[in-house]
Amino acid sequence: MQKRSQASYAAIQAQQHGLRSRLGFVVLVLAVGLGVSWFGVGHVLLALRSIFDWTDINLLLRWSGLLLLVLIPTAGIYSLVTQFAFWEGWLDGLPDPTALFPDSPPVSEHRCFVVYLDGIHQLERDHPPRVSAFLGLLDQQLNPATRLVKGLEAYTVLPVALAQDIGSAWFWRRLFALQEDHPNGWIQLIAAVLVQANNVIKVGISSDHRYGPIMNYELSLKIALRLGEVGFRPDQGQRVVLVGYSGGAEMAMGVADYLRRICRAPVSIVSFCGVFSGNQLLNQLSKITMIIGSRDPVAAFGRIAYPGRSPLLPLSNWNRALKHSCIERREIKGMNHNGLQGPFAELHRQAVVDQIVQAIESEDAGALG
Amino acid sequence: MEIQTALDALGGWLVQTDIGLGLLLLVGLSMSLSHVFTLLANRLNRRQIIVHLILDGLMLSVAFLLSSTIDMVLLATSASVTIHPSDFINGVAVCLLPAVFYLLVAAPYVGETIGLGIWVLMHLNVITLLHARFALPYGEALLLATPGYVVAVLLVWLLFRQGWQAGYSTLASQLSDAHGS
Repeated sequence: MQKRSQASYAAIQAQQHGLRSRLGFVVLVLAVGLGVSWFGVGHVLLALRSIFDWTDINLLLRWSGLLLLVLIPTAGIYSLVTQFAFWEGWLDGLPDPTALFPDSPPVSEHRCFVVYLDGIHQLERDHPPRVSAFLGLLDQQLNPATRLVKGLEAYTVLPVALAQDIGSAWFWRRLFALQEDHPNGWIQLIAAVLVQANNVIKVGISSDHRYGPIMNYELSLKIALRLGEVGFRPDQGQRVVLVGYSGGAEMAMGVADYLRRICRAPVSIVSFCGVFSGNQLLNQLSKITMIIGSRDPVAAFGRIAYPGRSPLLPLSNWNRALKHSCIERREIKGMNHNGLQGPFAELHRQAVVDQIVQAIESEDAGALG
Repeated sequence: MEIQTALDALGGWLVQTDIGLGLLLLVGLSMSLSHVFTLLANRLNRRQIIVHLILDGLMLSVAFLLSSTIDMVLLATSASVTIHPSDFINGVAVCLLPAVFYLLVAAPYVGETIGLGIWVLMHLNVITLLHARFALPYGEALLLATPGYVVAVLLVWLLFRQGWQAGYSTLASQLSDAHGS
């Protein structure tokens, strides 16, 4: 007994020692990094001063700030144009809402349709390899009566991919080419950031109470069309579960109530690492399950970025849904938003899939019970 | 003869206020453009949209003119300050300059914050104008400028709210027609 306690004491000592040395290493790296940065910044400033004087630098900074202030809203406004042109019927492809589902009886025996909405990294219908592996695992673990619907582009309302978008196709194609083929890593990075910025804007539109309703309705028509293709039929006792990762959770919240009315079926949401506003009507949904990582700063930022989720606004849609107790929270220890500690990494993949499956099946059990 | 004198006076006043009225018109048009998506949400056609944009722009300019008139009347009655209307409107219109960028309020997510910033800036500008030009203490300037400002906020809010409500009704009717809910 004494031997065991000594061993555990030694293990704790070793762990503490390890932690201390890791902390020391981090402090050392930070100190060196800061030193190098200051040295670098100093040199850049000196170089700039040799070309410009302080008045010029001040002017340059002001103009850059002003340019950013104008460019960000302008990009947002441009992004809105497609949604509203689509809504107006100026672009072809807005589905006829009365003919979304074929008249034929359901072709599949599935009782539940799980629709996956990816995060802002999504560029095209095909998911990145790590997401595909995750979805493969999820598909294996779902029961046979459940069908996983993947490959939906959550950030375009048009039935075409971003690279075929009327008006901006040339831009996106060039950007994708730069992102994939340019020899300079920085250019690749900037191109990737720009592509993701487009998806971030779509998340912003979905959460905006002025524009959200129309964009979310258009997206729900697109999802309903896809559900019809895979065998879903309204009023047949089937149900829909929207699984959203990161910004996909916002899109799921946006479309959920519309989809419930279009599909005339119960709709629930399972979000993981979700960044969402909670501005939409959520009271009528069967259930919302939030799977969050204990080390996820991005999802935590969502709570600050969207005031509707703050307890200071008790009449917000999110807080009303909380009062209806249709929201369940599940936490995965140590999980981050992405990367090696993220939900698609091998470390947490299984845990996230288990939680999603449990959330879906618990609702089945509740319905049966 | 009296009518001719009145028309001459009005003409003279309009010429003197050309900068102020021009700026108010520009502000009105910028605000109107910031809500162009309301008109699209209502499924208006191109010609209707252009007509609405111009009419809304004019209405918003009139709302600001009304707000300035309230300020002027309050200034004359409460602070016993007399000022020529054209001078005052020229001054107030310059205070409303930030609203020339109101177009950016159309941006999703950040738009409302930009709008809030512009409204606050406009109010502070008018208060500073009253303080600087009429030597009123800041507290009194705030009291005098607020009623007109509140009227302007209410009118703009009503106009845009009505537009969006109609847009949502269009969406709701499509949803209920197609899906019976």
